[in-house]
Amino acid sequence: MTSTVKHWGLSATVIVCVSCWSFASLGQNARTVIGPTNPALQDGADALLAGDAAEGVRLTLLGLESAGSARDRQTAMSNLCAGYVMLDDLDAALEYCDRVIEENDNRWKAFSNRALIYVKMQRYEEAELDLQRGEAIAPNARTLRAVRAMLLDAIEPVAPNIVIDDRRQPAKDADVE
Amino acid sequence: MNSRWLLLFALALALGASAADDVAELAHLMDDSSDRKPLQTMVPHYPEKARRQRLTGEVEVCFKVDREGNTSRIAVRRSTHRIFEKPSILAVRASTYFPLDEDQKLPGIKTCRTFRFQLMPVAIEQPQ
Repeated sequence: MTSTVKHWGLSATVIVCVSCWSFASLGQNARTVIGPTNPALQDGADALLAGDAAEGVRLTLLGLESAGSARDRQTAMSNLCAGYVMLDDLDAALEYCDRVIEENDNRWKAFSNRALIYVKMQRYEEAELDLQRGEAIAPNARTLRAVRAMLLDAIEPVAPNIVIDDRRQPAKDADVE
Repeated sequence: MNSRWLLLFALALALGASAADDVAELAHLMDDSSDRKPLQTMVPHYPEKARRQRLTGEVEVCFKVDREGNTSRIAVRRSTHRIFEKPSILAVRASTYFPLDEDQKLPGIKTCRTFRFQLMPVAIEQPQ
């Protein structure tokens, strides 16, 4: 079981969810300017998506300091959760995921990331609960499906078994002229 | 039960290292009613996506076997899930049958093969 979790550990960096929606429209006339309201937060998200967890966490912490809205703050904490998972600092990751969910329990990415943390911590019942909550918000999210697969592999490992049946079925005979 | 079912082989094959990750166990069921006897039977790859999503299913593939024992005109006749169709077709395409003797007549009917993609629960010991 442990080996399964370790096997998945390599994939964790691509499974964590990173939010990068810190954009806003500025201005109300024809000269609308579009750009990130929190550049550090955006750069941190970009770094995390590029796989640079350390730089992503550093920038996102800066972004969290200057977060001007609840949305930016939650995005920062959600991304810090993801970043610390990538750095394998599960305790720090869990702390940020807990804080996001405490503020807003409608963020499926936070549930997905926290479920991933719980799987890696072998806290499978809590992982199942978070997956259920995430799936209720985003039933078709691929990331949630990947984490669920990790959970299943940890608690109910299966081995493929293929049967090749060359026997002629009675129904086939009727089809053959 | 028809008498031709009397001859039933269940072969558990030890697979090569490259296939060991994909297939834990294989059973090949045959009877004496087949027009052609398999020479080399390729095992389909169990799609990783299907395994992860705990999908199981069944595909029946029908095809022609020429005098030399090669397969052609491969078509899926019945399938419970599309994800298993491609590996089944590829497996049939790579499989061969014993060639016919010169005095043997080439049967006009298609040969069919059913692949059952199953998942077995496995128990893994925790190291102490």
